[in-house]
Amino acid sequence: MSKFNLLMKQLYMSKIKSKSFVLMTLLYLAIMSVAIFWSDIKELFTGDDEAQKIAIINDTTADLSGIFVSNGDMEFVQNETNKDVLVKQVEDGEIAAIVEVNDKDGQLHAEIATFTPLKLNDQSTISSLLQYAGQHYAVQQLSLSPEQAAQIMAAETIITNKNLDESTADGKSEEEKQAGQFVSYAVGILIYFFISTFLSMITTEIASEKGSRAMEMLLVSVKPSTHFKAKIAGVLLLAITQMVIIFGVFSLYAKFAKDGVIWDMAASIIQDLSIGYLIYVVVFLLSTIVLYLIVGALFGSLVSKVEEAGQVLMPAMMVTLVGFYVMLSGMGNPDTIVIKVFSYIPFTSGMIMPMRIGATDIGVIEPMLSLGLLIATIVVVYVFSLSFYKRSVLTYSTGGVIQKIKTVLKVTT
Amino acid sequence: MTLQLQHVTKKYKDFIAVDDLNFTIEKGEIFGLIGQNGAGKTTTFRLILDLQETTAGTIMWNGKPVNSINRDVLGYLPEERGIFPTMKVEEQLYFFGELRGMKKAELKKEIDFWIARFDLEEKRKDKAETLSKGNQQKVQLIASFIHKPQFLILDEPFSGLDPLNKDLLKDAILLLKDQGTTILFSSHQMDNVEELCDHLCLLKRGVSLFSGSLLDLKKQYGKTKLAVRSDWSTTELLKLEGVKDVHVEKEQTVLMLEDERFAQSIFNQLSNGKYIEKFSLDYLTLDEIFKDKVGGSVVEV
Repeated sequence: MSKFNLLMKQLYMSKIKSKSFVLMTLLYLAIMSVAIFWSDIKELFTGDDEAQKIAIINDTTADLSGIFVSNGDMEFVQNETNKDVLVKQVEDGEIAAIVEVNDKDGQLHAEIATFTPLKLNDQSTISSLLQYAGQHYAVQQLSLSPEQAAQIMAAETIITNKNLDESTADGKSEEEKQAGQFVSYAVGILIYFFISTFLSMITTEIASEKGSRAMEMLLVSVKPSTHFKAKIAGVLLLAITQMVIIFGVFSLYAKFAKDGVIWDMAASIIQDLSIGYLIYVVVFLLSTIVLYLIVGALFGSLVSKVEEAGQVLMPAMMVTLVGFYVMLSGMGNPDTIVIKVFSYIPFTSGMIMPMRIGATDIGVIEPMLSLGLLIATIVVVYVFSLSFYKRSVLTYSTGGVIQKIKTVLKVTT
Repeated sequence: MTLQLQHVTKKYKDFIAVDDLNFTIEKGEIFGLIGQNGAGKTTTFRLILDLQETTAGTIMWNGKPVNSINRDVLGYLPEERGIFPTMKVEEQLYFFGELRGMKKAELKKEIDFWIARFDLEEKRKDKAETLSKGNQQKVQLIASFIHKPQFLILDEPFSGLDPLNKDLLKDAILLLKDQGTTILFSSHQMDNVEELCDHLCLLKRGVSLFSGSLLDLKKQYGKTKLAVRSDWSTTELLKLEGVKDVHVEKEQTVLMLEDERFAQSIFNQLSNGKYIEKFSLDYLTLDEIFKDKVGGSVVEV
């Protein structure tokens, strides 16, 4: 086995069995499981709750009973008339609220009377039901035929897109954009968490080897450049392993849980997106991780002991955090100038460019340019790090990051 | 199988760590590099190991520059103790051995031998961080030569070892020497150097004060240390011709002579033809030479 392989294998085998890696992977799986089975879990917690009793007093002539339909959360008591009895019941806590509806100048007017305020969720449910009842009432007042009434209530504008610029053949439909946004969001979060985990892993790994002085023992037999490459490859392999585990478990869930509903959903999302998009996402994901691993390895070589790793990691972590928040801002509106700028910055483009590709109408040039910039940065940072690593990895110094870099330059030139 | 340093210099921006260093180590020899902290010993080792680049000069192993040779012929025990804290003792040795291109089967024999020799049998499966400092050092020492290097560098191998373990280490070094390993080591403890080294180099702030055989170094000073037991007072002794300095030790008085040749006349005067309890003329110990050489404030080459 070559020295590169030995070092990589040693790192991989020791980390894959480490508590932090196992726990992190389990945590991802747990979060995914909760997300997938959320409705069942919610049921488990809220299922035993007794439905809130809401009394409806309808002072109008219209029949609104079809609108207030009881469900698991709320039980509607219709057509009550004796208000005093109801008030007493509310005070005793037997009924949660009284909703009294009457006519005011042809508009529906409702009063919600409670003794203890309703839960926010119930309040908004009742509000929206009342809004709907209001429209329904207004339509009924117009004395239309049932068909006409139904037509108004079911009115919906049908929108189709037509792109007059024939050079950019087909723009994305809203559905495609939403799917793109959804996937990009997931990818962005994934990149963020992966970067944080593996960036700190490679930094602490190198810092601990340096701090425990095992580094000198290693570098006598292995060239610093081989060591550097083996560390990056080992951690990258771990990252890929974790991704494969997560993706594998997701596929299993999707296929077998809930009769494959999720599988169909995922399939339809993928159908909305292009294969090209998925390739972009994967390339951006891996490139960004590689870039951060190179930076992490360099940072690890700067510190003198593992306790200082956090200190040098701070700037890189801040950059990922900025990228993450910019991406989050894009969830509301993916077309802002901030998004556009950050989608070209190599350290954040991995989180933001996939969203632009998926959720906006963007040409071929922009993603290629962004990816080109990212790869060029990786090459430059790699070459620089490789030469700097040789000098920094055996230099022990104190002080902040800048001070450390100065010391390295001072004692090795 | 020789290591040759010619005009080796390492300059940093504001100071010179190693200045025009020259020495040769022959095959199977034990060579000592001695000097105070900051004298440039570790830097010299790093230059030999190609962990740092020389500013000037050449370092050759068997006539080839060290940066072009297969690094597996070299073994190194760094001054700071460093092994993987969470790796088991045995795994650790296999790892370092394999990293040096050894096969598992060959390694097993070596590891079994050295583990038994250094009395680590019970600790075989323990994590390195749970071991005592001395035991960790033994593990690291084994790791540094498990691949049977032709040339072994030991940076302060004796520091932190108790007398029993020191003897184990000395025996191991001598065994490796018998097997043909060339050994370069540094130490603050001159008694170890004196006992093991054939040749040595004395460094002070990067400058070599002496390089050659131990005997030559001692001959430079000559037999100028005279221990006597007599009823002469120190003031009387100081008045004798050729006596530089007199100091009283536990059961003897030690006279430092300007030169060996004064001993005869001093003996005649002290004994005056009669019995004398102690009169012993000897070379200075390495410790004394070291103090004399390094203690001086002027750097003399």
